[in-house]
Amino acid sequence: MKRLLSSVRDGSGFDIVLVALPLGFLFLMAGLPLLYNILMSFQEVDMFSLGTFLRPFVGFKNYTDLFAQPETWPILGNTAIFVIGSIAGQFLIGFGLALFFWVNFPGASWLRGLFLVSWVMPGLVVGAIWNWILSGDFGVLNFMLRETGIISGNIFWRSDPNYSLYAVIMANIWLGTAFNMILLSVGLASIPGDLYEAAELDGANAWQRFWTITLPMMRSTIGAIVSLGLIFTLQQFDLFAAITSGGPNNSSNVTQYWAWDLSFRQYDFAKGATISVIMIVFVMFASVVYVRSTRHEVRG
Amino acid sequence: MSDTGRNRLMLAIALVMAAIYLFPLYWMYITALKSGSEMFATPPSFWPSQPQWATYAFVWESRGMGRYLWNSLIIAFGSVTLITVLGVGCAYVLARYRNVWVDVGLFLILMLQVLPASLMITPIFVGFSQLGMLNYPRLAVIIAIAAKSMPFFVVLVRATFMAVPQELEEAALVDGNSRVGAFFNIVLPLARNGILVSAILIFMQAFGEFVYSKSIIQAVELQPASVGLNSFMGPNTNEWNNIMAYATIYVTPILAIFVLLQRRIVSGLTSGAIK
Repeated sequence: MKRLLSSVRDGSGFDIVLVALPLGFLFLMAGLPLLYNILMSFQEVDMFSLGTFLRPFVGFKNYTDLFAQPETWPILGNTAIFVIGSIAGQFLIGFGLALFFWVNFPGASWLRGLFLVSWVMPGLVVGAIWNWILSGDFGVLNFMLRETGIISGNIFWRSDPNYSLYAVIMANIWLGTAFNMILLSVGLASIPGDLYEAAELDGANAWQRFWTITLPMMRSTIGAIVSLGLIFTLQQFDLFAAITSGGPNNSSNVTQYWAWDLSFRQYDFAKGATISVIMIVFVMFASVVYVRSTRHEVRG
Repeated sequence: MSDTGRNRLMLAIALVMAAIYLFPLYWMYITALKSGSEMFATPPSFWPSQPQWATYAFVWESRGMGRYLWNSLIIAFGSVTLITVLGVGCAYVLARYRNVWVDVGLFLILMLQVLPASLMITPIFVGFSQLGMLNYPRLAVIIAIAAKSMPFFVVLVRATFMAVPQELEEAALVDGNSRVGAFFNIVLPLARNGILVSAILIFMQAFGEFVYSKSIIQAVELQPASVGLNSFMGPNTNEWNNIMAYATIYVTPILAIFVLLQRRIVSGLTSGAIK
């Protein structure tokens, strides 16, 4: 006992305690729910069996039921559009801004940091602001589009099934662009400057320098950012809750909102767990890509 | 073109881009000051003709914002405390050693970081209800947020510990400090700034957290401001000036902290997230 105490105070026991407590906590609060989720996706769960672990085992019934539902495929399609649209928008605008701020001028780094306010704001507040901007009759976005002659009549962004998903994508691009830009700026800053000097001596123009130096040197950064973007877009929930609530008629519903909706609005916890399992597999895949593309940096 | 001329042009373009990007924020502040009729005017006014400062007091009173913000503060402080107490030691150990086990630990932590909250809430809610944790809803939310945000904190703080020279700790051990003493007297003070910045980032996240609070906390008097804002925005609401006033009161403190500490927050974020 005394040896154990002294090891904790002044030996490797100290490290083990420091790392075992948080990992134990994480296992209890994140690992176990993950396993429990898988268990629930094979059970029949309703309000009455919520309090017990021994629920009727139904095999793959939840999965087959899920894919027999008419809304499942459209919602999976929406999720794909949401993820691709958001990542493409965030990345392209973010990369453009990062390249612009890369040209150093006084105040550049301060102004660049200012963009990040979109990222620190609570998601629900961002959603509320965009909900108002996108409002059909009185929204300022419709006003600007009308004034510039892009549209002739008002677009009902939130209630028109053709536009509702894109309304949320727009808000999500605004939310995530700054984060993309900051991380891309870090990647750009780490490219050695003499590469460009050498290329310039060899007579390469700006366009060639971008394609032959900037992009290849940024490859691991871009890989990390795209997979981080995938992870973050699949976590986006607040904007859906604040702007469209998945409606109208599921036209802007995505899996991460649908899973919550099934569990907490329709009390179908088994279905909610089933979708969660499917999506978590996707997210895990993305995070393996992310870890791989940052691994050499994590070690260094 | 001369260098100063070029710099001025770049700065001007950058300011215009920042203005476009931050327009939604401006629109929130302006709408909050408009009267009910001015808000729905066509064309919309970009500067309030008669600023309605009384809206803030009205919204604060009628929505009971004091209580909501107090709950948000409790939840945010609780999660930050729990995360800091548990996470700092973990980050320290993961920064101090380099072996297979550290790689495995880091990999597991990164994996847990990516699980979407809206997918994890189903098993957490069912599990908590079986354990009777739903009787202490704010504590349940604090624990859930801690489990969600701790991996991010550990990754950020680990980068800070990596920057502390190991020779300093070894010197302290040679001088007769125990491991505990060296950790608290030498390493922790040197990493203080990085830990503080990471804790502030976590605080801002927890202050705006929505999914867990919405699902776990049923009693209105225990809900945080994010849930309050959500119930304020009904499907057919037209009180946009009041909602924007609510949003203003809610985010202005966060924005103030961010602008004050911007440089540190950005550098802390970039050092951990990708490098």
